[in-house]
Amino acid sequence: MPNANTLGVTTNTKAAAKKKTWLSFSVLFILPSFILYTLFVIYPTLNSFNLSFTNWDGVSDEIHYIGFDNFVEMFHSERVYNALKNTVILSVALVILENILAIILAMLVDQVRWFKNLLRSIFYFPVLLSGIVMGFVWAIIFNYNFGVISQLLDRIGLSAYKIDWLGNPNYALIAILITTVWKGAGYYMIIYLAGLQGIPPELHEAAAIDGASRWQQFRHITFPLLAGAMTVCVMLSMIGALKIFDQIAVMTDGGPGFATETLTYIVYKVGFGELRQGYGTALSLVLFILILIVSLIQVKLLRKREVQM
Amino acid sequence: MHKSKKGLEIILFAVAAVLAVLFFFPVYFSLISAFKSNGEILRNAMALPSSLYLESFKYLLTKTDFPKAMLNSLILTTVSILFMVLIIPMAAYAIERTGKKWTNFVYIYYLSGMMIPFQVYMIPLFKEMRTFGFYGTLTAPILIYISGSVGMGVLLYTSFIKGIPAEIEEAASIDGCSRIRTFWQIVFPLLGPCTASMVVLQGLGIWNDFLMPSLVLHSNNRTMIVEIFKFVGELASQWDMVFAGTRI
Repeated sequence: MPNANTLGVTTNTKAAAKKKTWLSFSVLFILPSFILYTLFVIYPTLNSFNLSFTNWDGVSDEIHYIGFDNFVEMFHSERVYNALKNTVILSVALVILENILAIILAMLVDQVRWFKNLLRSIFYFPVLLSGIVMGFVWAIIFNYNFGVISQLLDRIGLSAYKIDWLGNPNYALIAILITTVWKGAGYYMIIYLAGLQGIPPELHEAAAIDGASRWQQFRHITFPLLAGAMTVCVMLSMIGALKIFDQIAVMTDGGPGFATETLTYIVYKVGFGELRQGYGTALSLVLFILILIVSLIQVKLLRKREVQM
Repeated sequence: MHKSKKGLEIILFAVAAVLAVLFFFPVYFSLISAFKSNGEILRNAMALPSSLYLESFKYLLTKTDFPKAMLNSLILTTVSILFMVLIIPMAAYAIERTGKKWTNFVYIYYLSGMMIPFQVYMIPLFKEMRTFGFYGTLTAPILIYISGSVGMGVLLYTSFIKGIPAEIEEAASIDGCSRIRTFWQIVFPLLGPCTASMVVLQGLGIWNDFLMPSLVLHSNNRTMIVEIFKFVGELASQWDMVFAGTRI
């Protein structure tokens, strides 16, 4: 015990010794996480700046520095622009759809009188399942030949309207979007539900006495008071959208062509599929900068809103 | 007035019920498919299984690496979680209660890691794991999971420790309790709710993770999720295996 040797000393040195044990104690407690975190998060992140100037393939021992070639190639690559476009489309669509659906679900679970808990569990359940597993399930649902949607349309005689969801570049991104919204909405529903339950019922009662319609109550009471939950949800869904990976890996592998490649996916594909890890790290830096910009904008907007309130 | 309220309730419930069916359908679908043969899934995806087909489960448990993969997943999750709930509250406690300039710096240093997505440092990390010789062993993902959870974990724990009155610890220290003992015997048990949410959140994430274990583990040392992924690619889409795998 570090304190044991401080027992018989005079008060002055005792205080100093106590301060010292306090310090050594803090260092001791912080050290394990500090070492791990520095070694396996910060160091590789900094190292990616270094690797992005090389043409390393990921396997050989030789690493050649090629200056800014990776970045030059990147800015001339149609594929990278396409991935950037997909990332932006997916993020914007996901943030909007997930949050709207989550608010609807939360309000329903909050208002409905029967089977409240069952409903909540059903909406939340997809959150618990792995993206890989659920990607598979949806891949079959969307399958053109034997998928559930196709079989249903066959049965009711609308075979002409069958869509090759995952094989058609126009629809593949929509299929990914549907899967992700289905998987994520329940998570945000829980946050909104907590927000809803924090609204004092007196507000609604008073508004009802004043003759406010249900829509007016939602518009002027519920919605503004959900602002806190909304900031959290928008931020989380935005980060989630930028990192989306499992569904794409299982359902389309970035295809058909490059139709569903996002920035995160292209980093993986280029780095490990095509063994161009130098180029891959250069791309990952772009992703990093994108995420930084998005976070900074969100922090700024968040502050602005706080001032208004 | 009373009647319209009742009507609204029924409409709301109907909407909720329809959404619940839509939400539950994929889960129901994977459930019934686990008990069907491959041919039956392809012929008639929607129907209930005609007979209880358990061959896929039998095959999975006896002829594949699946049991080993399950064990790997279990080891990975428990060991990582165990270290997380030891190391992270320790750091959070020291940061929160020391309150010096350097601990504030450590705090910001930890939080900044939350902004870095795994894909950004994945390639250099992969290289690092090879240099250290961890590549292919279970040690690699465990180290990466613990390190990756530091930012989020410290944020959670420090905000929780703020809510614990310091008087409890002062009383303990007057009674002659050392800092380390105060932490383990008094503060750590009080962090229970925070630890529980850490375990659930991180545990789920690690159990379901695909990208990381697929990168740093050898093919004979896969986790469950990676093993399931393999069934589709290598065995020419054995959907019955996939579904059976997901049900275990």
